[in-house]
Amino acid sequence: MKSSNIIKTIAQKLFPFITLFGIYLILNGHLSPGGGFQGGVVLGTAVILLFLSYGIEATEQKVKMRCLSILEEAIILFFIFLGILGISTGYFFLKNFLPLGRAGQILSAGFMPLLNLVIGIKVAAGIFGIFYILFKYRGEI
Amino acid sequence: MKKYISIPFLIIITIIIITSIGLEYGNPRNMEFVKYYLEQGLNDTGAMNLVAAVYLDYRVYDTLIETVILFMAVAGITFFLQRRK
Repeated sequence: MKSSNIIKTIAQKLFPFITLFGIYLILNGHLSPGGGFQGGVVLGTAVILLFLSYGIEATEQKVKMRCLSILEEAIILFFIFLGILGISTGYFFLKNFLPLGRAGQILSAGFMPLLNLVIGIKVAAGIFGIFYILFKYRGEI
Repeated sequence: MKKYISIPFLIIITIIIITSIGLEYGNPRNMEFVKYYLEQGLNDTGAMNLVAAVYLDYRVYDTLIETVILFMAVAGITFFLQRRK
């Protein structure tokens, strides 16, 4: 798969902005429209853009698929670990155990930013994993 | 033969499920929780975004299972496509 220099340059210039927008969506998930799922999809799409423009070999050097799959499996365990922390602080499973804080700030609403971050990483890894597997084992696009 | 045995069970389960649904959607008697979420959501969870308040606090089990479902999708795609080669 060959792509022209124009596509490569545009993808290289767009990548940090798309990543920044995804991180913004994830971190402001409890304040404004957005959240973990949407921000994760945006983050995954940024990596897919690099993938489509630079090809499979160049992206495999940058993004280690082994680390990505391990991260994707470990992040579910971290989610469940957060739930068990709710039990160990004296409440029930997945209780919002952190202090709520003042409404409207980034660090408020207890563990919601943390959960949004966990879900965002999970969804980004999942979306890119599905795309990578489909691309690698089903042939060229 | 096993296929035909399961058909009466399916019919019985379907009838039980259909007759046991007592919810009428749109009936204001059943919509009390909407008012509760709108009034008490900020006090209970501290989130400005009420959608986040619902899916990360009141219904957080659904979110947990939803992430597990995404993981299952990735695992299934990987399993079936890697065998093909």
